[in-house]
Order: sequence, then structure tokens, then C-alpha cells
Amino acid sequence: MAMHAERSAALHELTSAPIQHAFNPYEDNGGTILAIAGKDFSVIAGDTRQSQGYSIQTRYARKVWQLTDRAVLATNGFAADGNNFVKKVKQRLEWYEHAHHKQMPLKSIARMIQTILYGKRFFPYYVYNILGGIEEDGTGAVYSYDPVGTYERESCRAAGAAQSILQPFLDNQIYFKNQTPEPGAEPFIPGNLPLSTVLALVVDSFTSATERHIEVGDGLEVYVVMKKGRPTDDLVGEGKLAPGMAVEELDALGEGDGEKTFLVTRSLKRD
Amino acid sequence: MNQHPAMWGHPMTPHQAFNAHTAFPLATPNPMRNQHASSPVSHTQQPLVTGTSVLGLKYKDGVMLAADNLASYGSLARFRDIQRLHPLGNHTCLAVSGDMSDYQYLKKELDGLLREEEALSLSDSHPALHPSQIYAFLANLFYARRSKVNPIWNAILVGGWDATKEESFLGYVDLLGTTYSSPTLATGFGSHIAQPLLREAFEKKAGIDGKGELLTAEEAEALLNECMKVLFYRDARSLNKYQIATVTKEGVQISESKSAETQWGFAEALRGYGAQQQ
Amino acid sequence: MSSIGTGYDLSVSTYSPDGRLFQVEYASKAVEAAGVAVGLRCSDGVVLGVERLLHSKLLVKGSNRRIQSVDDHIGMATAGLLADGKHLAERGRDEASNFRDTYAQPVTVQILSDRLSAYVQAYTCYGSVRPFGISTLVGGVDKTGSRLFCIEPSGVFYGYRATAVGKGRALARTELEKVLGKVDEAGEGSLTVRQGVLELARIIHLVHDDNKDKEFELELTWVCEESGNKHALVPADLLAEADAKGRAALEEGMEED
Repeated sequence: MAMHAERSAALHELTSAPIQHAFNPYEDNGGTILAIAGKDFSVIAGDTRQSQGYSIQTRYARKVWQLTDRAVLATNGFAADGNNFVKKVKQRLEWYEHAHHKQMPLKSIARMIQTILYGKRFFPYYVYNILGGIEEDGTGAVYSYDPVGTYERESCRAAGAAQSILQPFLDNQIYFKNQTPEPGAEPFIPGNLPLSTVLALVVDSFTSATERHIEVGDGLEVYVVMKKGRPTDDLVGEGKLAPGMAVEELDALGEGDGEKTFLVTRSLKRD
Repeated sequence: MNQHPAMWGHPMTPHQAFNAHTAFPLATPNPMRNQHASSPVSHTQQPLVTGTSVLGLKYKDGVMLAADNLASYGSLARFRDIQRLHPLGNHTCLAVSGDMSDYQYLKKELDGLLREEEALSLSDSHPALHPSQIYAFLANLFYARRSKVNPIWNAILVGGWDATKEESFLGYVDLLGTTYSSPTLATGFGSHIAQPLLREAFEKKAGIDGKGELLTAEEAEALLNECMKVLFYRDARSLNKYQIATVTKEGVQISESKSAETQWGFAEALRGYGAQQQ
Repeated sequence: MSSIGTGYDLSVSTYSPDGRLFQVEYASKAVEAAGVAVGLRCSDGVVLGVERLLHSKLLVKGSNRRIQSVDDHIGMATAGLLADGKHLAERGRDEASNFRDTYAQPVTVQILSDRLSAYVQAYTCYGSVRPFGISTLVGGVDKTGSRLFCIEPSGVFYGYRATAVGKGRALARTELEKVLGKVDEAGEGSLTVRQGVLELARIIHLVHDDNKDKEFELELTWVCEESGNKHALVPADLLAEADAKGRAALEEGMEED
């Protein structure tokens, strides 16, 4: 008994010794992501900088991923978790396709992502996810998550380093918060903005975040998913994009139901 | 920011007191000692014998890597003839910083993997592992170990030549499983001191998109020599004895150890340090 | 076969009254039906050769090899059930890598053969298993020089200067004895691996029974200085030369008859 008391006293002394940090399995790799849903399209964007503290690790690391012909996922937070999370999601999507001979619908991907995230509730993926794409009814959709899987469908969402800069801007521009219609004018309805306006908002969001946040910059990748049959001339048409921007249509991953995904790229300031 | 390998993986608290001049971490008592046999399994919580930063650079004919020959025990320059560049097969090379026993474990593991690959290839003639495949293996291994909270305490550069795509490969992976690629790379202290120099020289010739002409072998080697010299001047855990690995389509070639020419004359004029009087 | 119907051939864990293990003897029958495998120690390395019988014209050239690598410096040729050969090679690779992990040096051919033979022998001790249907040639170069061993289905193994297993082994061994006889006359160092390759190709062509057997592919590997002391395929040009010369020697022999 005496021995035991002695030992626990010694142990207490040792464990209360100067701060000895355990290994920290997490890191914040900066960057920011953003998605906005339209009536028949969805826009998912992210910058390409990956950083650690004040150091830029690389000027190009992917944060936005094409999952299916109608779903695009943006990840932000701890890059290693993000990459491995996407790997797992893609694997599950492949298994689904083998089992059902079709690609998983957007709302099912949304639920599956919740399940995977919550599966690691007590050792979470330190990742903020935003899923964008086209629902089975043809509407543009955005789903946003917290690291342990809480999710909801929204019209727009910003996450990551510059969330606090971008979300209020989107609230104002997409949800028309703090705006009042002219007397007698139609009331504002969120989620109806034309693609050109949405793209301009996305670009302005990222150029602004780049100015004000040290972890944002280098490059911008914007994925645009369009409902099947929707005209594409407001994106690919001559002079539709601002100077310095490029657009390419991505190949269909599955049978090609008619939805189209485009990748719009642009450089951001590197300082 | 503390670039000592012992601090990797710890929460970033820049103002936290850390005395790198003690024989860290042995000087601080380890609370895991004296515990009952039934206490929780403990894993590597800090590195002991460490190698400092390593550098990597893409150039015209492939990739170059640089690492000095020192393995430190805290602030003690413990082993001064350690090779931290390790070839894997004909077209891949590692440059390793961080814990040296974990590095030896990795070497053993990877050499075994490659030997088995080669043995099997005689029967079915399958091609050798590409640099990107070895890199993927390492990334998975490091991430799996960090996820068991039992990290492999290294930051590693993988340089290689992909014979199929006919292009060079350069990637980074560390104890957290974090991965990234870039035409110039550096770990640890080198990411602060050498990476800006490497980027400046690379972009001056190849442009910021890297699409222009790349550095020649001579230019690349001169640049790495310069960076290793600057690191030796400023990194107290470095040694002026280092090697350069070159990976091209011809294969991996690791240089003899060499030294940069240094000037310490200015030290005479310094006042305020050391034993001398004002 | 006197054993048939006596009941002593059903299990490897039962001896016959005169002290034989019939299942082990039947395993040797599986070996006798296989294309010949030959091994030869030379002054500067070791050569392995196999007559790989092609049971179909549809097979891809060079597929289903019967010679495998066990470690950098050791090769293994089997005659008998190919799948058993693959399994034993896998075990050999495990043993070799385990030896390296433990002792930080490459395993010698003798020690590897010893361990593999112990493994093969274990399959002659239990009623629940069948013995390996293969004879195995293990050849390599280690710190003791070039070595060659043969492991039988019983688990017994012997060291050889040269040996052959499989169909036509008797004739092959006679030929090997002639080759070694000449070496003994000419003195140490008179047989190089390059000459050895030609001899093995000649012997395999000689032993091959054109009337009974289908086509075959010549499979040759070596461990020598030229291969960087690694177990590797004999270079394609030398293989082609050996194959052509072997065929020519056979035709010459026929004309003499």
C-alpha cells in the first residue's frame, strides 16, 4: 500500500512535470473553398495554395475534385486527411457503380459523405467539405459539412481560411441579406442568379481573399456543373470570360447522361 | 517557428520556450517512464538522432537532391559520416531528414519491397516500380502510421525519373502523411532558408509557370551548392559535408561527399558574443 | 506396383511394412513426367536450364516460366507441378528475406536449400497433406562461391556440380558427367558460364523427345559476373545462339547415327 502510494505520488510528480506535448496528428494547410448553386448549374471553387504556418508548401495542390458526371467535391483543412478522404469517397463511388451499373446520385453521395465523416467521429478527418452538383430533378445543389458529418443543403457556402471574409459577402450577394428591394419591386429569391454573375462573384471572392488572407492565392480552379441540355454558350462563348481566364470541358466519367462539367482556371496573386 | 525536427508534429506555439542547446529531449524527464506494465502502449513521441533539412530540384535532365552527412543527437554532432540519400532501384532516390532510426527502418522496408519486386519480375517480366508508385507507397505508409498516432518521424523527398512518361518526378511526404509536389522542394529549416533561393533561381529561367527552359545540370548543381553553403552558415544542426544525388534517365548517381568554401573572417570583427572582451 | 491395394499408399503418415512411404514415391512420379530441368556449376557462376513443354500452341511466348528468383543471387528451377514450384519459391523468398532481416547478410545457397528442404520434408509427416510434386534445383553464387543443390519430394537434398531432374534426367546426367569429365582433364576454370549455357542448351535439345512430346521453349538463367552476380535471364542473343547450336548439334548427331 505504502509502495503504491509512493509510486502514484512519483507518477503524479512526473506527469505534472513541465509541459510535454504529445504528437499532434493534425495540421492546418490553409486555403479556401466556395460553392454556389444556380437554378440549373452549380459552381464549386478553390484556390491551389497549400501552406503550413507562414510557409507556402506548394503553389499547386488540388482541393476540388470531380467525383461523377454530376458531383464535384471541395475539401479544405488538413491536406493529408483531405486527400485520403477523397480517395475513400472515390473508392466507395466506384464500388457503387460496379454494384448498380450507374453513378451514385448527388443526394446519396451527400449522405454517404456524412456516414464516412461520422464514422471517424472520435478521430475526425480535419476536413471541411463542400459538395456541389446537379440533383436528379436537374436543380443545382450545394451541400456543406463540418468535420464530423453535420450537413445541409444550401444555396451557397464558403469554408476554410477565408470563410470569415467570404461568407458575409455571399450572404449579402446570394441571399440578399441586408438588401431591401425598391418599393414595389419583385422580392429577392436566392438561387436564381445567372452563371455569368455567379462566376464574377466567385472570382471577386477569391481575388479579395487573396488580398486580405496570407493563406489564399497562387491559383484558382472553378468547376461548373450544368444540367443536361442546358445551353453552354454563356460560359464557352467568345468573350464570355474575363481576360486571363481559361475554360475546358471535362470528359464524362460515366456513360455520359448529358450533364456537363467545365473547369475554369485563373491565376491568383502569389505574394 | 521552431524548425528542430524534435518540434515537428507539435502544435505550433511560436512563443513557447524551447532550449535547443540542451541535449533535448533527454534532459526533460519522460513521464512515460516508471509507469506500470499495464500502462497504455507508448509510441515514438519525439525523434532522437536526427538529420537536418534536405533539398530537391527539378532540372533539364531530371532531378537533383542534396543532404548533408550529419546525424545529430540533440545539439551534439553525433555521427558525421551518415548518408541521407538512398537510391531505390534504378530511377528513384530518397533524401531523408528527421529521425535516423526511422530512416533505417524505412530503408530496410523499401529495400525488401524492391528486392521482392525484382525477384517476381523474373517470372512474369513486369516492369520495375515507378517513382510515383514508390511515392504513393510512402505516402500511404506515413499516413497510416500517423493515423495510429505512431508516426514515422521523417520528412522525405522522393526524386525520380519516370521512364514511361519520360519526365522527372519530385515529391514531399512527412510524418503527418502530408504530401505535395513542386519543381523545387526543401524540408525543415531549408524550407525557410533554401526554398526561396531555389524558387528564385528556378523561376528566373523557367518562368513562374515553369514552362520555360529548365536549369542545366551545371546550373542546378551550382544552385544546390550555394544553398547548402547558406544552410551551413545559418543552420546550427548542419555540417559542411554533403552529397548530391542526380536522377536522370541514365539512372541514380550519388556524389562523393564534398564541402562548400566558407569565409569566417568576419567573425573576428563581431562583438557581443563569445569569450572575447569588448 | 506391388503397393496397390495394400492400403499402405493412402496416407503419407503410414509406412508400408517394408519401410516405404508410397505417397512420397508417387510424388516422384509427378516429377518424372515433367520436362527436364538442368543445373550446372561453372568456374565463374552457375547456370540453370529448363525444357518448358508447351501443352498448347496458343500460349504466349515466354509465359509460365519454371525458373524463379528467390533472392538477388539465387535462382530456383522446378520440375513437376508448376503450382507447387510457385509455392516453394514464395517460401524461399520469405526465408531469404527473413535471413537478411535477422543477419544483415544474404543467405547462402546451402542454408536456403536446408530451410527449403525442411519445409518440403514437413509435407511428408502428416496425413492431412500431400508431399510436394516437384524436384527443385537451387543455384546461386554466394560468399562460398557458386553452389547448386537439388531438393527431392522426400525433403532430402544434395549438393551437386551438375544435375538434372524430370523426364530424360538419366541421359542428361550422363551427358553432364561427360562435360565434367572433360573439365577435370582440362583443369579447374576451364568451363565458363558462357560455355555452360551452350552445354545445357545442347543437353536439353538432346534429351527432348521429339516424337512423344510437343514443342518446347528453352529457358535459361544464370548467376555470374556478367549478370552482376544477380540471378537473371541469359541475354536474348546468347539464348538464341545456344538454342540454335543445341538444335544443330542434335541434327549432326542424327546424321552420324
